[in-house]
Amino acid sequence: MTPYTNMIIIPSLIMGPLLTISSNHWILAWTGLEISTLAVIPLMAQQHHPRAIEAAIKYFLIQAAASTLILFSSITNAWTLGQWDIMQMSNTVSCTILTTALAIKLGLAPFHFWLPEVLQGTTTMMAMILTTWQKLAPLSLLVMTAQSLNTPLLLMLGLTSTIIGGWGGLNQTQLRKIMAFSSIAHLGWMITILTLSIKLMLITFYIYIIMTMTMFTMMKLLETNKISTTMMSWTKLPTMNTMMMLTLMSLAGLPPLTGFMPKWLILQELTKQNMIIIATMLALSSLLSLFFYLRISYYSTITLPPNPINFSKQWRHKINQKPYLAMLTTLSITLMPITPALMTTT
Amino acid sequence: MMYFMFLFGFFFVFWMVGVSCQPSPYYGVLSLVLGAASGCAVLVIMGGSFVSLVLFLIYLGGMLVLFAYSTALVAESGHIGWNYWESAFYVVIYVLCIVFAGVYYYWAWSVEGFGCATVDGDGPFTIRFDFSGVSWFYCFGSMMFVIVGWGLLLTLFVVLALVHGLSRGVVRAI
Repeated sequence: MTPYTNMIIIPSLIMGPLLTISSNHWILAWTGLEISTLAVIPLMAQQHHPRAIEAAIKYFLIQAAASTLILFSSITNAWTLGQWDIMQMSNTVSCTILTTALAIKLGLAPFHFWLPEVLQGTTTMMAMILTTWQKLAPLSLLVMTAQSLNTPLLLMLGLTSTIIGGWGGLNQTQLRKIMAFSSIAHLGWMITILTLSIKLMLITFYIYIIMTMTMFTMMKLLETNKISTTMMSWTKLPTMNTMMMLTLMSLAGLPPLTGFMPKWLILQELTKQNMIIIATMLALSSLLSLFFYLRISYYSTITLPPNPINFSKQWRHKINQKPYLAMLTTLSITLMPITPALMTTT
Repeated sequence: MMYFMFLFGFFFVFWMVGVSCQPSPYYGVLSLVLGAASGCAVLVIMGGSFVSLVLFLIYLGGMLVLFAYSTALVAESGHIGWNYWESAFYVVIYVLCIVFAGVYYYWAWSVEGFGCATVDGDGPFTIRFDFSGVSWFYCFGSMMFVIVGWGLLLTLFVVLALVHGLSRGVVRAI
């Protein structure tokens, strides 16, 4: 895109979720959501091939419909209560429609069908933006309205999301679709704990962002998008190969890596609230996710493809570095021991 | 007066159904314009005469025309025939959804269920609130004004970035 277009679109992409996060009036929140949707569309359709255009159109339709539902629910709330404050949303029908609309925006089950295809149709970096930055605005709206939302509805959405995120990812070989189902599952964990403890939901969200950014940056550096090409990743960046396995195990939630911390705390909180069946089903459904993370790490790190004995690394045509990858990897592997310090940040 | 609001409200829904129940989006443009005009009429009846005028002039007469022209420039002439039964099926399902949503959401079969629907002021001067609301836009709501203006500029650039490249445009009816 031309520099003039980039100068408008990239600041809008940054500004959209920030507007929604910093708002206490529904119209400003909706404006921020629309600005972020509009700004990401030409970035997705940048390459102008039919797959990318299809992903952009699907994303736009889904997000615009969900924004319309948010607008309708806030207008109904303002009609019955006379005020537009986000944190005082008392109309129950409005809260239900708002929850549905935000579930559509986030890609929670049963509204998750667009997410794997949209992520598959875009580039790796755009998929990273879609799964991390674009989730900020809807989740901030959920945090702001958390005390008025319907807990059983959120629990059902969260449970369905983790189960579908686990089962749906089992048959995938494309890494972006696997990351989509991983996003669905992690968001399910976040939504389950939302009305019980906002602090834990925010901790889960921050750690999910760190781990997802790590995984996508590794995918970009290795230039792989499917499991079959990750088999040759040990020839490209051997150290990063090992770290990719640890990042995947962190995403799966294995101790003593970082990803275990939010799952542990969430299960503890659910047990304290006597929601044992839901806690058990969440833990069991994360086993399904563990399987496909383990499959990726099996084919990338644990096994070697058949090769001659003195097989060396690939030729480097250009030095391709991402300086933030080291920090992200360290954070996504080693944050467990400082959990009490992290609990004070949110 | 309430009859007019009901009439234009019905027209709004009618033309919006006409927009979406088409085999190709290009056939729904006239329906879109008429539906937006009916929406403007509803706004006038509800007391937002200035807002309705700005909507009609700037959105319909400015931005919609710009976006429709840029889309028409990159569209290929893949002529799709208009199948009666397919469109009729869409219309039936759409109307069923609207009726279901209306019954569930409002539980009001008659027009009286809406209550007071205008935004006129009380008192001897009887000015419509939306004129004073527009003046609020310039003093108390200046930041929102800037943000909304930025949003419109962004929409323009997004449309232009999407239809950039006339001969290799992919925004077409495949």
